[in-house]
Amino acid sequence: MRAPSFNLLSSLTAIAALLALPWLVTSDYYVNIASQVVIAAILALSLNLLIGFGGMISLGHAAYLGVAAYLSIYLTAHAGFGHLAGALIAIGATTGLAMLFGYLALRASGLGFLMITLALGQILWGVAYRWASLTGGDNGLGGLKRPHPFGFNLMDPAVFYYFALAFLGIALWCIARFVQSALGQSLQGTRDQPRRMRALGYNVWLIQWLSFVFAGFWGAVAGLLYAYYHQFVSPQTLHLTTSAETLLMVIAGGSGTLLGPMVGAALVVILKNVVSAYITRWLILLGVIFVVIVLFMPEGLVPGITRWVRSLSSRPRADKAADTPSVVKEPAQ
Amino acid sequence: MTTPVLEVTGLSRFFGGLPAVRDVSMRIPAGERRLLLGPNGAGKTTFFNLVAGDFQPSQGEIRIFGHNVTRKSANQRTHLGMARTHQIITLLSKNTLLHNVVISLVGLRQIRFNPWSDLRRQTQLWDQARATLALVGLEDLADRSVAETSYGERRRLEIAMALAQKPKLLLLDEPLAGLSADERQDVQRLLQSVPRDVTVVMIEHDMDVALAFADVITVMQHGQVVVEGSRADVVADPRTREVYLGH
Repeated sequence: MRAPSFNLLSSLTAIAALLALPWLVTSDYYVNIASQVVIAAILALSLNLLIGFGGMISLGHAAYLGVAAYLSIYLTAHAGFGHLAGALIAIGATTGLAMLFGYLALRASGLGFLMITLALGQILWGVAYRWASLTGGDNGLGGLKRPHPFGFNLMDPAVFYYFALAFLGIALWCIARFVQSALGQSLQGTRDQPRRMRALGYNVWLIQWLSFVFAGFWGAVAGLLYAYYHQFVSPQTLHLTTSAETLLMVIAGGSGTLLGPMVGAALVVILKNVVSAYITRWLILLGVIFVVIVLFMPEGLVPGITRWVRSLSSRPRADKAADTPSVVKEPAQ
Repeated sequence: MTTPVLEVTGLSRFFGGLPAVRDVSMRIPAGERRLLLGPNGAGKTTFFNLVAGDFQPSQGEIRIFGHNVTRKSANQRTHLGMARTHQIITLLSKNTLLHNVVISLVGLRQIRFNPWSDLRRQTQLWDQARATLALVGLEDLADRSVAETSYGERRRLEIAMALAQKPKLLLLDEPLAGLSADERQDVQRLLQSVPRDVTVVMIEHDMDVALAFADVITVMQHGQVVVEGSRADVVADPRTREVYLGH
């Protein structure tokens, strides 16, 4: 019987650790941090679809997080909709917004694309900030009570953590399938050789737009969970810093991988919440960590660590091979 | 009169004030082997890019299989039955040779919009891709990354990707450029094996190979057609000598 591979063992260990986390950590505070990591991971995974697999660097991804959060809170807490209807409308409308933003942003590529996504995100931030009668302005919008799906009390930190984790599992599964599908492989082709892909019959714009909308959908799911978690949303959620933070998660963890954005999300959220309790200027520490990652693992933490592990595991074999006497004997002189 | 595979009328393309292609008209019937000759900067590759849809023409009309494709995108033209290779090799270099051919096959199939089915499980496509690689003698390298292959092998892979789509019009932009003598012979044999119902338009500088391959030759200079005709006519024409030797 073949021994299970290292990848399988590490995946099973990670899943077991994630499932056991509420029992492993002692306080609700850390379980809540874990929930925040899970929500950030979904957002980072969705942005990674654009950056890592599509080569489209966006600085407006907070738009989907914020719009879905605003919509779900407004519809459920202020417009009299039920939780399910509010959630479905919020996700549907935010995905529709991604359709429009994708249509506008994909008129350009590279720096132009980045600037359009940045501008669109900032327009939404401006609207949320200034349209106080609808959004609450700088005070934000609150009043949402967490739902009780199938009788589960989401006010319990551990239950909410599992609820969010289930969504992360579904997101990861769907995105992994997408990446290996014909459309996902085509997207990666358009990232590397758009001209060649056109010559092969691919509608590069359409492939990128569909992927943009798919990423917007998962951004909306993250926004819904964000609204349930915080029960409050403010213009800060839509701000450029939120988009930049998500971009940092993807780049630090390793774009173009599935595990990387999740590791990046954990790094940023833990630094933001835990380290900031001990160090006032935690952003400086984040900056230093990011510089170290870029210097020593420019491809990101996950691919970088994988490279290090491979080089370390191959070194003893090479040393051994060097020590082993050659089987082929020198011909007699 | 049968519809020509490629018909170009009064085609021009200006880059700012610079005319790269000027008033080119051409009619290529089915099955013809057409060779485009001319010195560097004659406008041959720009002409290819116009026909393939990479550039929009400033003036003129392009018809492929009778369809006016002047304003159609490159991918729409490919779906009509046109395939091309590029002067500068463009491949998915992180992937294997086999993967590149599979991507080529997927390009013309509805599955390209499928966001769910695992492409690795489409065994029929992978088998077909392997067979196409065997056609160009690359079956042993099928699972090797493109980054680990030689220039000649990449040239052959480009041709394999074009042939995989079973085109009716094949545009080859300097398929022999940068190849060793042995590799040239391999590619030459490969081009000779292309079925006769496929119309081939080729840009090539190697006169010996090109002249042996072509039915009709078009000589271009300064973006214009200077001479057009059979091999014998073009070789005998003093303007050909003038284009190449300057006297």
